[in-house]
Amino acid sequence: MAGSTIDHLVSVVAFLAAILIFISLFNQILQTAALYQRHRSLAMKCSDLLDNMLLSPGIPSNWGQTNVTPTGFGLQDPEFTQYRLSAFSLMRLLSSVGAPVYYPKTNQWYSNITVGFGNFLLTSFSEAINYSTASRLLGINGTYGFQLTITPIVTLSISEIKSKSPLRIAVNVAGRGFPLANAAVSYCFLTVDLTGGEGSFPSYKTTYGTVYTDEKGSTLLEFSEITKEDTSYALIAYAQLSGLIGVGYHQRVSSTGQYVVPFVDNIAEGRVIIAHSYDVQYFGPPVAEVAYNATFVLLAEDFTLREIPLGADKIGKVNYGEGQPYKNVTIPTHNPGILVITYRKSAVEGGVIMMPWGISAMAFPVVFGEDPSGKEWVATDIRQVIVNDIAYQATLALWSLEGYQVIR
Amino acid sequence: MPHITIEYAILVPVLILQIFLFPLTTGWLMSTWVDSRRSLALQEAASHLGSIMQQMYFSLSHDTILAGSVTQKPDVPLYIENNPYTGSATLKTVVDETQNASKILDITFKLGNTGITATTRVILGQNALWKNSTFVSNSATACIVAEKFENGTISLSFGG
Repeated sequence: MAGSTIDHLVSVVAFLAAILIFISLFNQILQTAALYQRHRSLAMKCSDLLDNMLLSPGIPSNWGQTNVTPTGFGLQDPEFTQYRLSAFSLMRLLSSVGAPVYYPKTNQWYSNITVGFGNFLLTSFSEAINYSTASRLLGINGTYGFQLTITPIVTLSISEIKSKSPLRIAVNVAGRGFPLANAAVSYCFLTVDLTGGEGSFPSYKTTYGTVYTDEKGSTLLEFSEITKEDTSYALIAYAQLSGLIGVGYHQRVSSTGQYVVPFVDNIAEGRVIIAHSYDVQYFGPPVAEVAYNATFVLLAEDFTLREIPLGADKIGKVNYGEGQPYKNVTIPTHNPGILVITYRKSAVEGGVIMMPWGISAMAFPVVFGEDPSGKEWVATDIRQVIVNDIAYQATLALWSLEGYQVIR
Repeated sequence: MPHITIEYAILVPVLILQIFLFPLTTGWLMSTWVDSRRSLALQEAASHLGSIMQQMYFSLSHDTILAGSVTQKPDVPLYIENNPYTGSATLKTVVDETQNASKILDITFKLGNTGITATTRVILGQNALWKNSTFVSNSATACIVAEKFENGTISLSFGG
């Protein structure tokens, strides 16, 4: 009797256990299937969203060259079609990587893209488009998070081989993992003369030329006029091969303590503030007045660099602290180029600072949006794009803000 | 003997209950999954269609494009789980006309034979117009039509 009761009890328990196991396993399989479909849907959304960003100029279409906040988000160059992006729309995106810079004399914060010493792009927050605005304009506010990365495809590594008599500079041109052999490299070599200018302003001398890379993608530049190790100079080089174009730059300065810092104040008017570095780094005395001389170079259609004259405000002096106002220089064009500012701290100390006008002029990378690391599931998609003739790769990382859920 | 009768009296209903419980549980789980799958598929189609419409609008909006008409057959499925779906849209202005206004096209999709709906939003410029029309997924001529007029306005509609 007792044995029979136990048998029945065991069978009932086994039966219930079987039901529970069945339900949980079945549910698990369905959950996995649902998850797979959500991830597929997220990948599709990522592709659509990337195309929407890259194939529309936004509203208004020229928002990148104005001060207005767009009512539609898009990065396409309004003068072109297909995957050609506006260098100025990209310049207005608030950078996610560089620490913002505060400049007390304008009481403004600036978005910061810095690629090594002396290569800055600091755009006023009042001009920049932030992540939440872009997210709202894309119609994904609160539903999806994203990060857009625009990186140059062609890289020019420039390094100094010999410092004087003659100065030798090696230029290595590479694509994504392979050297660009027989690429035409057109360059602008700018030397700073600290004592040669009118009054105490520095002057500069530019040399232009074109060379070709060997089978390893390398070329060597020689400048016999450089006979001193403390001569400041800047080299800007554009490499071109079968329509694939990249930019590289290198400079040597004799004063890294006190220099000038350019801030983009007004994109529509082309106004750039020139400030003393101590106002940004908050160092105390002793402080020296810094004299500067600015020039603007742009890449012409024949891939040579041309100088564009700036107005009378191209030279000036800036100092640190109260009662020492910043200076302005106005860039007269909305064609991408490089603002080159030579500066002089003393008769023996000075240097050169470069700022791209339009993100592509110095092939600066752009990282815009939130950091995808740590998100539960991130879909990515890529496109090859052109930004004012410079080849870039655009990558969009997208994730759902409801974890695994995708908004229905 | 009486004990055995009681045990059988308990077990037999439990066994009979299982006959109903298994299919019911399966059905419940399946219907949750199927609904979720259908919703996602419909949302995916709506989102993709919205993206295509926005790209068509901006392509035609370019200064170099003259007046004319473009028809695009979207690469969305004809059926979702054997059910056709329909789409309709409404256009509204979101900002004051004097301040660089934009328009929002709200697109709503309904999956036939189910109560499932999905919506998507497309941001267009001031010169956008919407011609009332319905997208029928299983129509052989289902398409998106964009027409640019001489005055620069762009009319969007579903065809087929």
